[in-house]
Amino acid sequence: MSSFYKLGQMPIGLTVPAFAILLVVFGIPTVLLFLISLNAPDFSVTNYYAFFTQPANVRVLFQTIEVSLVATGICLIVGYPTAYLIVTASKSLRITLIALVIIPYLTSGLARTYAWIVILGDRGVINNLLLGLGLIQSPLPLIYNRMAVYIGMVHIMLPLMILPLVSAMMGIDRSFVAAARSMGAGPFTAFRRVFFPLSLPGVRSGSLLVFVFCLGFYITPAALGGLRDAMLSTFIAAQVKSSFDMSRIATAAFILLAVAIIVLSMVGLDLSGTQGRAANPVRKSWLARLSIIRNLKLYLSELPRPYRAKRWAAQLYQAGTASRWPQIIGRVFVVLVMVYLLFPGLIVVVMSFSAGAFLEFPPSGLSLQWYRSFFGDASWNGAAWTSVQIGVEVAILSTIVGTLAAFGLSRMGPGSRSFLTMIIITPITFPVIVVGIATYLGLIELGLIGSQTGIILAHSIGAIGIVVVIVSATLANFDRTLVQAAKSMRAGPLQTFMRVTLPLIRPGLIGGAVFAFLQSFDEAVITSLVGGLSVRTLPLKMLENMRNQIDPTIAAVASLLMLLPLLWIIVFYVLWWKSKAKAQNTLPAPAA
Amino acid sequence: MNMHARTPLPLPEDELLHEKRVLPQIEFRGVSKMYGKVPAVRDLSLTVRRGEFLTILGPSGSGKTTTLMLLAGFEAPSAGDILIAGQSVAAVPSYRRDQGIVFQSYALFPHLTVAGNLEFPLEMRGVNAADRKIRVGRMLERVHLRDFGGRMPSQLSGGQQQRVALARALIADPPFLLLDEPLGALDRNLREQMQIEMKSLHKEFGITTVCVTHDQEEALTLSDRIVVMRSGRIEQIDTPEALYDRPATCFVAKFLGEANILEEPDFRIEFDSAQPSGTVGMIRPERIRIVAPKESKRSDADRRQSVTGTVDDMIYAGPLRKYHVRVGGTVLIVREHVAAGQPTFRPGDEVRLDWLRSDVRFVAA
Ligand SMILES: Nc1ncnc2c1ncn2[C@@H]1O[C@H](COP(=O)(O)OP(=O)(O)OP(=O)(O)O)[C@@H](O)[C@H]1O
Ligand SMILES: [Mg+2]
Repeated sequence: MSSFYKLGQMPIGLTVPAFAILLVVFGIPTVLLFLISLNAPDFSVTNYYAFFTQPANVRVLFQTIEVSLVATGICLIVGYPTAYLIVTASKSLRITLIALVIIPYLTSGLARTYAWIVILGDRGVINNLLLGLGLIQSPLPLIYNRMAVYIGMVHIMLPLMILPLVSAMMGIDRSFVAAARSMGAGPFTAFRRVFFPLSLPGVRSGSLLVFVFCLGFYITPAALGGLRDAMLSTFIAAQVKSSFDMSRIATAAFILLAVAIIVLSMVGLDLSGTQGRAANPVRKSWLARLSIIRNLKLYLSELPRPYRAKRWAAQLYQAGTASRWPQIIGRVFVVLVMVYLLFPGLIVVVMSFSAGAFLEFPPSGLSLQWYRSFFGDASWNGAAWTSVQIGVEVAILSTIVGTLAAFGLSRMGPGSRSFLTMIIITPITFPVIVVGIATYLGLIELGLIGSQTGIILAHSIGAIGIVVVIVSATLANFDRTLVQAAKSMRAGPLQTFMRVTLPLIRPGLIGGAVFAFLQSFDEAVITSLVGGLSVRTLPLKMLENMRNQIDPTIAAVASLLMLLPLLWIIVFYVLWWKSKAKAQNTLPAPAA
Repeated sequence: MNMHARTPLPLPEDELLHEKRVLPQIEFRGVSKMYGKVPAVRDLSLTVRRGEFLTILGPSGSGKTTTLMLLAGFEAPSAGDILIAGQSVAAVPSYRRDQGIVFQSYALFPHLTVAGNLEFPLEMRGVNAADRKIRVGRMLERVHLRDFGGRMPSQLSGGQQQRVALARALIADPPFLLLDEPLGALDRNLREQMQIEMKSLHKEFGITTVCVTHDQEEALTLSDRIVVMRSGRIEQIDTPEALYDRPATCFVAKFLGEANILEEPDFRIEFDSAQPSGTVGMIRPERIRIVAPKESKRSDADRRQSVTGTVDDMIYAGPLRKYHVRVGGTVLIVREHVAAGQPTFRPGDEVRLDWLRSDVRFVAA
């Protein structure tokens, strides 16, 4: 007992629960998976050989890389100017635009994919409109092809590109650009020689983020693409469903992982070389992925703050060009991007109120029938209830375990801290299908396949990582002398925690819990692998319906999911803004 | 007129506040602290007397904060022992000790109001709500922050925050007070004002105080005694006057004020007493007289040593004039008060310097 207490006192002891869950559910199975792919105990590369000698496999592999690269490229081409225009906009406009980018980021990916099915389908919004206008005789093939895959993927990934770019650009000191201008650099030269190089870290982290996410993409390509547009993850998932030849699955999973790691290190090293960075760029990029979550807080706390940086970047690009065209073009561009990001959601929300037997746009009459059907149908509201239950339990488990771990990490030296953090967050940095397969293997060993407990554990490994990142960021700002101060006033360890530490890190804990809940509530890939036949979560039910497209109730569900981010934004805003406002309020409050 | 403010409210817990406390003596016995292989404090032995204001002074990294943290119980000594009132406290966690601490950053709880901050130590000691309110009110009055109880710490100025931190450390009437660079974050004016304030608080509460600083002026103003530290060791302990007037080492001489070191071959020191081995002569700049070379000798010339040199530089510093005078290979600093009719020397001028031989101190090199 006393040795147990001592363990709790040591920094590493606090991380034990997190690592125990991680190891059993994910770590050991990942190693097993690797051994299986190598035909252990014989150890050979025959599985890899077999994979690469099948032309179909190689084609899928190259296709995966190609689709990911193209999607990343489009995100960058669209995202960079968008981010630039957001940064150069006036304060209120910039805040609005950032919020408009965050809303889709917080919206269920499934709901957004569903929106594109509704828009691009043969009987979808666009075809119906064109048919109705008599412009075409038969539906255009807008869906189930590569183009649709790109539209859907870029739609989902764009916020992940724009947000890191915006934060990198906002961090650029305007005096650099002003200095360049003062030295006679024209607006374009100043941009090319000063602004652009300084924004490169944002370009890198955004691109890597998007690329690695794309590699693991599963649902969107499967839902919007044709049969020939399979990604490696689709291929792996299909193998799980049909044959279940574990060595083939393991091999494909590790090839996918290897591609992710190789490309990451190549891009990371290359760019860092030009900047002469000494720090390990790969590790940075892994972490960069999570900085979005961290930065969310930053974006939201921007809202009430007076605008400090002047519109320097706008001057940068206005000065010298007498014409107003660039400005007009810029505005049109931003409007188009925002329409692209938000319109699909709006269409689904509007359609969900259709009165007819099918979904129509625009609806011929309004009714709440699909909402009634959602709340009345046990299979729907049951699934929703299951998801809420799982989500809440995941949030509780991972907030407790993740917070303990974050505390332990905060007391370690910087070296071991970043190493262990990197390990704890692997489940959110690996392609999701790989995590799914490994977890599947782990839960088989535990006999938890098809149980709610199994799903909670499977979701928690990723959620713990998210909580660790958010709480760590909060703890980094937490002044440890406050703890010493409390102790010097005779507050014991528990009193210190309850009266000082907890109240101060509470926003971080709630933020972590909300993101943990979100992670679980929207999870479909891992769940579909480990859920068996008995547990039906809302995302699984939606997925099934998207494939069959029989029940328009899904539109009501998707609409509800679209409205959810507004709730989250309000939660975060209240959470972070209030604490900020409290601290910044300079009005003297009269003594009680 | 002060009477009114100082009259204590007739309340039972008043006894608690003004009760004659047994102030403990604090003793360090051969205390060392290693951070890994780095020694932060080495074999430190020191007694803090009852009720005194002791300042630990030293350059950055000399182990001041570490010494304070050891005393506060936030760090455990690697060797040696610390005794408070004769009891070893090495194994007593900080939250079981009775002490008030003012942190360099003040460490005011940002989520509690000023009153909430002041109540905290009372609450932890089980004082009931009604008594807490009264004591907080009185304390706020004492530090001139009567109307600030409802404010958040972030709504206070630096000096106000400092006073809240001090009030919070004193409110539970601890037997001793630890201060880590208490005025470090304040600007010069405020600093002087707070020094006076702290001095009067110390007198009023009669509390044993250990203060850490690297500001020599602060140390000279506030302290009964000063401990000068250098790379983890104690260099000298003494009263401010004694430290300034009779520094034991060259380091102390230079750390507290300015010092001229008189060494061969430029100076053959003519002395009254025998120069101890391993020492050098030291004279403070204000003890040196600067005159034109031709000026007639004074009556006490036989008790003075005199040299000639060239003015290198002259700096006006308010009522003072500071000269750098080159004598052979050495530059001596000379400081004199500006008086009417006194000549001003320019760089390049030949001058004569002289000083009383009894003003030369021998300090360990
Ligand atoms: N936690 C620590 N780990 C390792 N070394 C430390 C630690 N704290 C202090 N040290 C080292 O111990 C020595 C003394 O540090 P200390 O903080 O006591 O100095 P200080 O006199 O307070 O200096 P300053 O005036 O800069 O505050 C320094 O060399 C410092 O680098
Ligand atoms: Mg210090």
